[in-house]
Amino acid sequence: MNRIILNERLVPNIFHLVVEAPEIASSARPGQFVMVIPDEKGERIPLNVADWDKSKGTIDLVFMNLGVSTRKLAGFKTGDFLEGVAGPLGRPAEVVDFGQVLLVGGCYGLAGLYPLARELKERGNQILFLAEARSRAYIYWENRIRKVTDEFLTAFRADCFSSDKDLEEIILGLKSWKPQLSRVVVMGCSYLLFTVSEITRKIGLKTRVNLNPLMVDGTGMCGACRVTVHGKTYFACVDGPEFDGHGVDWQEYFSRRKAFLSQEELALVHLVKKLDSQE
Amino acid sequence: MKKTELFEPGLTERLSREREKDWRKNLRREISAQKRLTIPRHKMPEQPPAQRIRNFLEVNLGYSLEMAKEEAQRCLDCGNPGCVAGCPVAIDIPTFIKYIEAGELDKALDKIRETNGLPAICGRVCPQEVQCEKNCNLVKAGKEPVAIGHLERFVADYLSLRSELNIEPGCVNSSRGKIAVVGSGPSGLTVAADLARLGYQVTVFEALHVPGGVLAYGIPEFRLPREILHSEINFIRSLGVEIKTNFIVGKTASPSDLREAGYSAFFLGTGAGLPGFMNIPGENLLGVYSANEYLTRVNLMKAFRFPDFDTPAPAARKVAVIGGGNVAMDAVRTALRLGAAEAVIYYRRSRAEMPARVEEIRHAEEEGVVFNFLTVPVRFLGDEKGRLRGMVLQRLTLGEPDASGRPRPVPVPGSEFEVEVDLAVVAIGQSPNPLLVKQVDGLKLGRWGNVEVDSETMASSLPGVYAGGDAVRGGATVILAMGDGRRAAKAIDKFLRKC
Repeated sequence: MNRIILNERLVPNIFHLVVEAPEIASSARPGQFVMVIPDEKGERIPLNVADWDKSKGTIDLVFMNLGVSTRKLAGFKTGDFLEGVAGPLGRPAEVVDFGQVLLVGGCYGLAGLYPLARELKERGNQILFLAEARSRAYIYWENRIRKVTDEFLTAFRADCFSSDKDLEEIILGLKSWKPQLSRVVVMGCSYLLFTVSEITRKIGLKTRVNLNPLMVDGTGMCGACRVTVHGKTYFACVDGPEFDGHGVDWQEYFSRRKAFLSQEELALVHLVKKLDSQE
Repeated sequence: MKKTELFEPGLTERLSREREKDWRKNLRREISAQKRLTIPRHKMPEQPPAQRIRNFLEVNLGYSLEMAKEEAQRCLDCGNPGCVAGCPVAIDIPTFIKYIEAGELDKALDKIRETNGLPAICGRVCPQEVQCEKNCNLVKAGKEPVAIGHLERFVADYLSLRSELNIEPGCVNSSRGKIAVVGSGPSGLTVAADLARLGYQVTVFEALHVPGGVLAYGIPEFRLPREILHSEINFIRSLGVEIKTNFIVGKTASPSDLREAGYSAFFLGTGAGLPGFMNIPGENLLGVYSANEYLTRVNLMKAFRFPDFDTPAPAARKVAVIGGGNVAMDAVRTALRLGAAEAVIYYRRSRAEMPARVEEIRHAEEEGVVFNFLTVPVRFLGDEKGRLRGMVLQRLTLGEPDASGRPRPVPVPGSEFEVEVDLAVVAIGQSPNPLLVKQVDGLKLGRWGNVEVDSETMASSLPGVYAGGDAVRGGATVILAMGDGRRAAKAIDKFLRKC
């Protein structure tokens, strides 16, 4: 059981939990995730570690309220307990001297990339941070991120299906503005990971994507999170979650993420009904 | 007898000392051997197949007290009990059975627990037909063996409500040394229980949110109800063992962190968690699952109670399970209970080579599972949305024995055929979980990523680090894992006394 120290809504639909987890707080690294079990009937879902405080023994989790589990999480109050948090899992993101690095974050990925930005910056890298969102109203942690980055840029899209032109222009423009740029790391919705990878593929700019497939145990035991990268099958939970965006079989990735879509809808309806009857 | 004496010198003497006690002699005289030989073996009462494939309740219902006493009378209490030699943890089987005959169930359970901390589980999941019961002397007399497994289960269940026995938990003494056990499966629980009884402070670290390892995520409730598992684990806790869940050694803390925290010996019981796939085309289609995922969703996450529990299981009409072991039987019977209209086993060898327990195969057949032998999938077929719609299979024949001693399956050219399926579960075996063992410097691993150990002491290549169960053996059985745990506990005790 892990106590919730804070639960706040950052922007419509994105929440920030601070949770007691002293052992994880002292071992977490950028790019890793934890498995969270909201309550005794809950699923195990992976959430990126958005920050940690060793001295206080807490970790920060930022997530979008989307399905049953995140809806349960969003509903917790300070002082409530989570059924369990396990981690940190996955391989940490690489933190070495890259020179200039572009971090592209959308949705929960703004927060998820924050510790990577901070540590890359501490290593002496120049950090360009591109925040992608529907509009300015959906940008959070801007000041926090600005403190550990050199440039903070934004790309707004009315919805997922509108043109990627802005994003493309920004990234291509960046490359000519910062010719030393050698690496991109992307975290956020699947569509963003895919889109950025396709843009950078054109100019041969190395792009790492932090994948978020379905998981069950998160420790390499079930293979729910199988992804194909450069023709080889990997388990995202132990071999990733970060992979070469230019090698990911995106069609398979999108399709596998939807494996339980109809059940997920059913579960959500079930939960909403239950919550309604409690009121 | 040699194998059991490996970890218990003087066993033969102890067995015969027990056998020569007056109460045993009297009991033997009460009913003649002739008469005992005429009592037929009691069948395990079961839920009828048509009923049980609609629920996840246990199939076996257990003996009544009367049935158990009568079954116990079948045991001749012979002077050379082969059953004990067949038991990987050398339970004093004749003594516990005779206690049942005498109606002294408490003593029967205490006797079992001297060497086996998980009797309710072993009574259910051990392959008795190739261990204790295989060596029963009734078999030589042309009779069915005493139902040792059913009796073990009976004793454990009958007394499960009785609070904690004659064990004194107050003897934990931290000055004797702290021991870290990684993994709370059968080997880890056994080593923990044995060392706690010797007075050591033991912490078991479990990566999942529920203790039990394969007993919790792998074995279905219709074979091992979770109340049974929980009460066995509570018994081990009552010995003073601390179990820390959601703690992934190697991630949450490294082994060296634990050493700094004062743990002076380690037991790696990390299991065989890495699911095997066939590496054939289409294996990542929606609808192809590892048995680990399928069973974990249902057993650990309780998907059979979805949507009351949040984790879903894949819904399917035509289910194919690939494999012939216990895991394959568990998966195919789970599919039936989740509503499959057709549940088929595809196994690459013939019936005789199936590694599953005889009872599991029989139960599966009774429940309507179809068995296809000497067949193997060569590719999975998908629709335009990436969903599984069928598979192409190939016929095989049996050739010369391979390294495992079993005949090697040889493909029959031109024998490919197609079947329609919407769910395929791959149950072809697991290999040791690499997460921890691969990151321990200097730990010697074998070809399959298994920890290499001394088979007598379970000591690894690193001083103070021991291992056992599936982390060493690959996919084996609960009772072999427990035997490893017992041997490791003895060796760890010896190691720490010298420290």
